[in-house]
Amino acid sequence: MIPAGFDYRRAATLDEALSLLADGGDEAKLIAGGHSLLPLMKLRLAAPSMLIDIGRLGDLSFVRDGGDHVVVGALTRHRDVEIDQTLRDHVPLLAHVAGQVGDPQVRHRGTIGGSIAHGDPASDLPAACLALGASFKAVGPSGERTIDASDFFLGFLETALGPDEVLTEIIVPKATGAGWSFQKFNRRAQDWAIVGVAAVRGERTGISLINMGPTPVRASATEDALAGGASAAEAAARAAEGLEPPSDLNATPEYRVHLAQVLVRRALEEASAA
Amino acid sequence: MRFVGESVTRVEDRRILTGRGHYIDDVRLPGMLHAAFLRSPFAHARITRMDTTEARNLPGVVAVLTGADIEAVTVPIQVMPQFPDFNSPVYQAMATDRVRFVGDPVAIVVAQSRYVAEDALELINVEYDPMRPVVSFEDAQDPNCPRIFDDIEGNVLYRSNSTHGDVDAAFAAADTVIHETFRQSRQANVPMETRGAVADFDPGSGDLTYYAATQSPQGCRFQLATYLNHPIDRVRVLSGDVGGGFGLKGPVHREDISLAAASRIVGRPIKWIEDRNEHLQASGHARDEQIEVEAAVTSDGRLLGLKARLLIDQGAFPCLPYAAVLFPNMIRDLLPGPYRFGAMSFEGLVLATNKCWNPPYRGPWEIETWVRERLMDVIAHRLGMDPADIRRANMFDGDEEDRSITGQHLAGITSRQSLERALDLAGYSAIRAAQELARREERLLGVGFATFLEAAPGPKENRVIPEDARVRLESNGHLLVMTPQGPHGQGHETTLAQIAADAMGLPLDHVRVVHGDTRQTPMNLIGTGGSRASTWASGSVMVTTRKVREKALGVAAAMMEIDASDLDIVDGMVVPAGAPSKAMPLSAIAMTAYLAPETLPPGTDHHLEAQETFTGDGVGGSGWSGGTHLCVVEIDRETGRVEIVRYVVVEDCGQIINPAIVEGQIRGGVAQGIAGVLYEKAAYDAEGQFLAGTFMDYLLPTATEIPSIEIDHLESVPVEGLDIRGVGEGGALVAPAALTNAIEDALVPLGVTINEQYLPPSRIMELTRMVPA
Repeated sequence: MIPAGFDYRRAATLDEALSLLADGGDEAKLIAGGHSLLPLMKLRLAAPSMLIDIGRLGDLSFVRDGGDHVVVGALTRHRDVEIDQTLRDHVPLLAHVAGQVGDPQVRHRGTIGGSIAHGDPASDLPAACLALGASFKAVGPSGERTIDASDFFLGFLETALGPDEVLTEIIVPKATGAGWSFQKFNRRAQDWAIVGVAAVRGERTGISLINMGPTPVRASATEDALAGGASAAEAAARAAEGLEPPSDLNATPEYRVHLAQVLVRRALEEASAA
Repeated sequence: MRFVGESVTRVEDRRILTGRGHYIDDVRLPGMLHAAFLRSPFAHARITRMDTTEARNLPGVVAVLTGADIEAVTVPIQVMPQFPDFNSPVYQAMATDRVRFVGDPVAIVVAQSRYVAEDALELINVEYDPMRPVVSFEDAQDPNCPRIFDDIEGNVLYRSNSTHGDVDAAFAAADTVIHETFRQSRQANVPMETRGAVADFDPGSGDLTYYAATQSPQGCRFQLATYLNHPIDRVRVLSGDVGGGFGLKGPVHREDISLAAASRIVGRPIKWIEDRNEHLQASGHARDEQIEVEAAVTSDGRLLGLKARLLIDQGAFPCLPYAAVLFPNMIRDLLPGPYRFGAMSFEGLVLATNKCWNPPYRGPWEIETWVRERLMDVIAHRLGMDPADIRRANMFDGDEEDRSITGQHLAGITSRQSLERALDLAGYSAIRAAQELARREERLLGVGFATFLEAAPGPKENRVIPEDARVRLESNGHLLVMTPQGPHGQGHETTLAQIAADAMGLPLDHVRVVHGDTRQTPMNLIGTGGSRASTWASGSVMVTTRKVREKALGVAAAMMEIDASDLDIVDGMVVPAGAPSKAMPLSAIAMTAYLAPETLPPGTDHHLEAQETFTGDGVGGSGWSGGTHLCVVEIDRETGRVEIVRYVVVEDCGQIINPAIVEGQIRGGVAQGIAGVLYEKAAYDAEGQFLAGTFMDYLLPTATEIPSIEIDHLESVPVEGLDIRGVGEGGALVAPAALTNAIEDALVPLGVTINEQYLPPSRIMELTRMVPA
């Protein structure tokens, strides 16, 4: 469990990171907290020729009140997201979810941008961003662009982020006073969710699912049912419609479908009680 | 006694908790190289071609050795060929022409660093011709399946049959016959420190020094000498702190032999530390067993007869030197436990499959407890009896004449006391009342309990290998205690010191326990295992220390001109009866014995050292540890999650040396037992591919998942004699039974019978038919 050889460069500025990425081509990878990439490298499932360390780009670690939204810098560590008062006041779901990632060591090291750029369907934060209607700012050689979360996750560990782009900001609409719930079902406290649900019910309703397909996904059928006035139980029964959840040692697809229905119902009940 | 019975602080803790322990990876020798093994990706295949050229040419690589290279310098392995009816296959330390499980070592790279060694692994080209794998119990018993070993007909390596009492009559007289097959799953030992070693062959002296993470330094030395065909006087094993084993490090692994052979070939020290992936895949898995039972019972719950058929999947290779063939008859003997069965028939098979081998794992015979205690509950539920009552109706009281149907002498057992005490402590009737309420609310609350016996050391008539200790009083009056044990977390340096300090009359810090250097410690092949530390090691330290005390008092008597029988040793001082002012420090006695023996009267024995054998003489008590565990669970009927609401332990291990250590042993064992039910499974697919190679797939419970455990001690101490019994295995033996009984009890309203041990939430939901299987 030792990675294959690689070059290591530490970027002092965002511009330097972009130019290293441009030089490194497809074989270069950004690294921040390292909690998604390093395990893959140790198993030699990933063997980048160069790692560009952006962990020292302190400018990208912040939480800023943007009026009707909150902006979170991509290098903000999970723990800092968890305890940020602006987020707790206006996007409590995001702060709560950050506090459920892994264990304290992971939360003090891993970054929100790393989690989102990795795009793991079993991760908590990408799904939370989907439910919240967040968008992501990416900077590349040709400037910056903003990508809606619902357009970002394309396939298994595949995102809309270009190989020469750096994810810099997570922009989350405020959901002040909205009902919310996060349901994470796992066998050990520190594990990824076998199935998870992030739900927001307020001016906008967003229900998203963890580990129910190759990407983090919206529970669209449930959202539609709710929009049509269905009860929580009715809407929850449609949670897995159109989805093909994975099979692994923890769960069959059938069990995941069942869990999604149960957890969505619980999430809707909790969110409306808030 | 001043120290035995006290929770004195562990001698080891300061060193280990401040990071100053010495584990294998802390060994760094001049000129040391590093090894990595290339392992088979196939369960069963022929090796048709192997090319190591590219790997050899990688800068930093010193040698790439194949199975054939190792075969050329080692002795083929055959484990316990003398065991009656055991078809013991001959095999090699590394695969030569054929691989037999995913993880089978096929080449070893020796390089300047582990980094280079792992890079070189990717440059070895091996071509495999896959064969049909033997994966399931059915495959292994199917004569049409390929044989795993050419020299053995079929894949059934061992079959044992026996009958006790009149089984036919018992079944003819039965009101009801209950037929179930109870299946448990592969579980791995998973110590915190993986396997590893540093092999150091010195071409100058011909000495092979092997730094091992082992439970048995002498056993390791003996096997290395045997399979390397190296003179045993030139093999020395050194073992420092060992980060856990749970049985895994009692065996000598094929990698040990390969590594030592590689060091002898290259003439330099080589370190091998396996990574967690190798460990989970290739170090060992246990518990892959099932028992099919038929029980003949009367309608009032008497156990007339039992038919049992055991299958053990031992994986590909018989474990060295503890082949799984050791366990069927042990399981047979212990299966009736503390209960009266009128008659019993037993068949036990050991099967070879294309999976990792089966080392001992904390209570290797555990299935006897699980199946028996599961069966008791199933019978109770079928007959409409309370599970407590069916146990009460059939349990022996521990009278002198009590003997199980398989002949185990059960005089002195305290099973009944432990059962009643556990029910009392837990408030059994209140739990049943709470269950009634919960059921009205459609909540699934269950209570389960199970009673076990642990032959630690077992009744006196059972023959057990004795053990020696060597004890020396040093010139400063301190005691050096040398044991062949291989402690790996149990705290021997504390408990054996407690015993020696009391036996000699010394402060605790005047005793130093030494282990792990085969040039100092007595010979004993087993080392630490089978709960031998508290029984045989303690006994040997006690009798040997008494001998040294006698010698020291002989010297003191000569020096003080007082008869030895009038002298005592208290807190390191030799004190004449009735004349405490004339006391002399033991150090003065020892100094004279070492430096001025000529001043002693002729004929005085001034050698303050002894090695004595403990044979069990002077032991009182039943020889049986045991107890009852009780567990309360609540199951989320929508998700299948099992929450352990309460866990109560009542145990009896005789006289307790150190309560804190005893309770640590119980808690650790319970955690592993719970893990076997709710978390851990070394899973293979139908093709023999291994699926649980990381801690994301093999779920070890953490402190968060293990409930608080309430412990009560019976501590039945006999009227006379020494009565220290083992406690290492009981928790792991009985926890799966207590927990699965509670789970079935919770699921009674849904009509579920639990006949498998591994019950993750997904499986609970299938059993309750909430989710299709």
